[in-house]
Amino acid sequence: MGSIRGKAAIVGVGEVPTGMYPERSFIDAAVTASEMAIKDAGIPKKEIDTVLPIIVVANPLDNANMVCSWMIEELGLGKTAKSNFMVASGGSSSANALKTAVALITAGLSKAVLVVHSDRLGTGLDLASAITQFAKVSTSQEYEIPYGFSQLALAGFLQQRYMFDTGTTERQIAAVVVALRKWAALNPNSIFYQKPITIEKVLESPIISTPVRRRMMNKLCDGASAFVVTSATRARDLTDKPAYVLGIGSRCTNFTVTHQPDPQKAWAPAARDAYRMAGIGPGDIDVAEIYDAFPTFVLMSMEILGLVERGAAGKFVEEGHTSPGGKLPVSTNGAMMAQGHTGAGGGPALLVEGVRQIMGKAGERQVPNVKNVVVTGSGGVGMDFHVEVLGKEV
Amino acid sequence: MSGYNKPLPLITPLSKVFYDACRDKKLMYQQCNDCGEIIFFPKHLCPNCMSRNLGWKESKGKGKIQTFTVTYEAAPPEFAADQPYALAIIRLDEGFRMMTNIVECDFNTLSCEMPVEVVFDAVTPEITLPKFRPAVK
Repeated sequence: MGSIRGKAAIVGVGEVPTGMYPERSFIDAAVTASEMAIKDAGIPKKEIDTVLPIIVVANPLDNANMVCSWMIEELGLGKTAKSNFMVASGGSSSANALKTAVALITAGLSKAVLVVHSDRLGTGLDLASAITQFAKVSTSQEYEIPYGFSQLALAGFLQQRYMFDTGTTERQIAAVVVALRKWAALNPNSIFYQKPITIEKVLESPIISTPVRRRMMNKLCDGASAFVVTSATRARDLTDKPAYVLGIGSRCTNFTVTHQPDPQKAWAPAARDAYRMAGIGPGDIDVAEIYDAFPTFVLMSMEILGLVERGAAGKFVEEGHTSPGGKLPVSTNGAMMAQGHTGAGGGPALLVEGVRQIMGKAGERQVPNVKNVVVTGSGGVGMDFHVEVLGKEV
Repeated sequence: MSGYNKPLPLITPLSKVFYDACRDKKLMYQQCNDCGEIIFFPKHLCPNCMSRNLGWKESKGKGKIQTFTVTYEAAPPEFAADQPYALAIIRLDEGFRMMTNIVECDFNTLSCEMPVEVVFDAVTPEITLPKFRPAVK
């Protein structure tokens, strides 16, 4: 396998607040996040020759228009751009977009790539439609549709089996929510800014789909984020703190949850590949920005990443090690559970946050002396697992 | 009109074979005649060896619960009236998996690895859905 270690870097990030913003249009959010990323990078916009929009869920027309180069016109890139194409793999779209961007840059086909996401899952879609829409995606029309599957059932399936296999307690699952809400409480862009929660509050909320309780579920939100990728050489001209892409690893394993393999076995090779390319091990990770959607996935992912032994993640989180001030901060923006679920936007939001941690731009959430950050992404019902290692130094 | 208003499976020439058998209370799966791969959901192309020489077999309808969830709230709207209902992934003894509902039981007694057996629910004159219940000892 070829290595892209240190050949490209993320040099600028942008994000609008995540939440319920009925007055903020889809395109305004996309343009604002892009403007922030371009200005943060300090890159002349004419250098951006490729735009990679990420799939839009709430509105098929917005999605189609992003496919058809809406951003090129909005950002005035029509005289210099070479390509605009959508990267779409659900929650792993940003991981695949970063992989694509790095490949294009490393091959010399692009100078600078803008990855942009915007969606309006909070106010652009009513909840019943959202449940119906998500319930039918990543589901077999012939053999699964008749039974009443939903994304909440997915959370139930994974949490049920994970607790059975590892002995993880309900209190430990609740502790994941609490830890993410502590981070979100420090994040002005999160829907739960300055709103932490207690374990008791999580545990007293009603069961929605066993063993998942209401406050173990994420909240659908509006949001937008963007980042700019360029070559390591160009990155060093632009900033003294580029977030170098040191390693990428991924596995794509299944379509439906029925055929999801044992994640530990099937997806751990993605982490191994990323670490090997980066030339580091899990012990060298200072911050983990872990894709969630729901709390069990955080615990599973910590184990897949080798940050803790299998079955030990719940206790580790309960002891506070992943919270602010802990020895291994996890998902410092609050992730989808606590920043808000913006469709395919959970992935780019975590990448943006990982870059902030490397560049020292994470405000109250800044973890001291960050050298290496690991970021994950996963799409569908858990159809794949993507791992990126970002670093301060090559 | 049957009055059944939940989503019905998409019937294709391939899935029709499966659901026609369900109507006769038979749970069918496939096996590749060339490499022996056990196949479900049914396919035209063996996902192991890319052979098209696939054959149907009848399952004994016994297996274990891989995982399950009992939905009390926020189900897809067509299923709201059924709440609570149990959804599960079953590992059949023949080596394939399927999503289904667990029925005819106290949901509080369900657990991962519990043995279950197929029952057939004729939801419309055309469609019979395979569901599962705790295995009779």
